[in-house]
Amino acid sequence: MLEFLILNNIVCHAVEAMLFASIACSVLGVIITQMNISSIGFTMTHAAFAGAAAGIFFGLDGTVAAVLASLTIAVILGPLSEKARMPTDTILGILFGMMMAIAIFFISYMQYLGTGVNTSSLLFGNVVSLYREEIYALALISIAAVLFVLTFFKEITAVIFNKKIAEAAGIRVRPIFYALLFMIAISVSLSLNIIGGLLLYVWLVTPAAIAYQFCSTVRDLFLVAPLVAATVSVTGAWIGLQHSLPVGPLIAVVFSGLFLVAVLLSPKRRVPKGE
Amino acid sequence: MRDGTINLAGVSTAYEGSDRPVIRDISFTITPGEFVVVGGPNGAGKTTLLETVNGMLPITRGRATVCGLDVASRGYEIRRRVGYVIQNFAFDPLAPFTVRDVVMMGRYGLLGYGRRPGEEDRKIAREVMALLGIEDLAGRPIGKLSGGQQQKVLIAQSLVKRPDVLLLDEPFSNLDLGTRDFICGVLDGIADEGCTIMMVSHAFDALPDREVRVLVMNDGHLIFNRPCRADEVEDHVRTLSGGHHA
Ligand SMILES: Nc1ncnc2c1ncn2[C@@H]1O[C@H](COP(=O)(O)OP(=O)(O)OP(=O)(O)O)[C@@H](O)[C@H]1O
Ligand SMILES: [Mg+2]
Repeated sequence: MLEFLILNNIVCHAVEAMLFASIACSVLGVIITQMNISSIGFTMTHAAFAGAAAGIFFGLDGTVAAVLASLTIAVILGPLSEKARMPTDTILGILFGMMMAIAIFFISYMQYLGTGVNTSSLLFGNVVSLYREEIYALALISIAAVLFVLTFFKEITAVIFNKKIAEAAGIRVRPIFYALLFMIAISVSLSLNIIGGLLLYVWLVTPAAIAYQFCSTVRDLFLVAPLVAATVSVTGAWIGLQHSLPVGPLIAVVFSGLFLVAVLLSPKRRVPKGE
Repeated sequence: MRDGTINLAGVSTAYEGSDRPVIRDISFTITPGEFVVVGGPNGAGKTTLLETVNGMLPITRGRATVCGLDVASRGYEIRRRVGYVIQNFAFDPLAPFTVRDVVMMGRYGLLGYGRRPGEEDRKIAREVMALLGIEDLAGRPIGKLSGGQQQKVLIAQSLVKRPDVLLLDEPFSNLDLGTRDFICGVLDGIADEGCTIMMVSHAFDALPDREVRVLVMNDGHLIFNRPCRADEVEDHVRTLSGGHHA
């Protein structure tokens, strides 16, 4: 899509993939961080990771298996915490451990068997050998995420503010919430190949957290988070490939560093003069 | 005239994931424009009763209708016509919402999907904020207001939908005496316009000077339901709840 700008095909595809993945993840990330459900995002991300590893081991399509695993976690979460009579957060902790174990089990086993599967791209991502279809799919999900926010902006802001108050206002909270989980599952599963299971979570949380340091309205958050995410990811992919650096980890480190800088510069933490 | 009728016939409500109903076999009829005060000790089921009326909790037995609509099947429609001021709230001081945003949220359900608030909606929001005397706070972040100011914002939020029924759960708990009287006057005016009001309250000194219906809950049962004068309410509730009231 951006071939007219970037002549090197590999760099071009990497930049496109990073652009779309970062937009999808950071837009949803704003909702996740503002609703205080990062642990759900965290667990769904690792479920996609485990799903992909298991799927590839059994000869299935990694992305489809990732979507299925991530969605399964989202759907069973509510009923499971009710049945186990435990706080959702504890259940999420357990599921997170389980997903990590499953992922590592299959990855180590595949390495041991020497199946020729590129397991390191599952772990740390890979922006070099991408299929055109992957990039199209990422473009679609990033557009879907943006449309989701534009269409249900009122409903999403109300749910972010307070679920009970949103419901009392006559908003259908549950469908919005499940639509959100569905979008997260697809976004993280599609981004898995390029960002990697171990770092995916950074894209979901850190850009939104950086934006939060400077924004005082929900609208600004939805503008600034994807802007930060896309700028850092695209430049990171470009520079990383020029200098043969591992792209995913490079960007993740830059994000985390930016977050620290943002906290230091944030107008929210600044105490007004005279107080 | 608005149709703020509330009718419950043998209604029991259980919280999700529990089989034991919290309120049991409740029956009453409230006519449009009535001012209802709900009393009873802590844990009696007052909040549960309000959330049963606006369809936020599953009814396990009996039948409830509000504004002529069946609560069990048409909860969303009902909540677009019923204002509800929740009892416990706490907002993050850094939450990215201004008073204006929060008040406007009351109209979001009514507006439906894909429609942004328009000039008409903003006008109603300004009128309601003026009615409650919070127009000066409009641009302030909700999390940085006092508890009483936040309480007024939530009351304003429930009023912008121009409700047929207004449910209030201990709206006076954060308010000083003067503000109680002021809000009481506001509610009195709203009832005059034909809105049904159902208010959980222990502040019997802050009731409008009109005939009110008193409902007393105890251990999930409705044990008292009678119209009386405002100055008699305290005596009834005190006797019935065994003197536990402060
Ligand atoms: N989310 C919930 N899940 C299960 N049970 C609940 C839940 N909320 C309340 N209950 C139970 O329902 C009963 C009635 O609670 P409710 O909140 O309606 O009381 P209340 O009369 O409003 O009390 P208060 O004066 O303290 O506000 C209590 O025994 C309580 O334990
Ligand atoms: Mg209560």
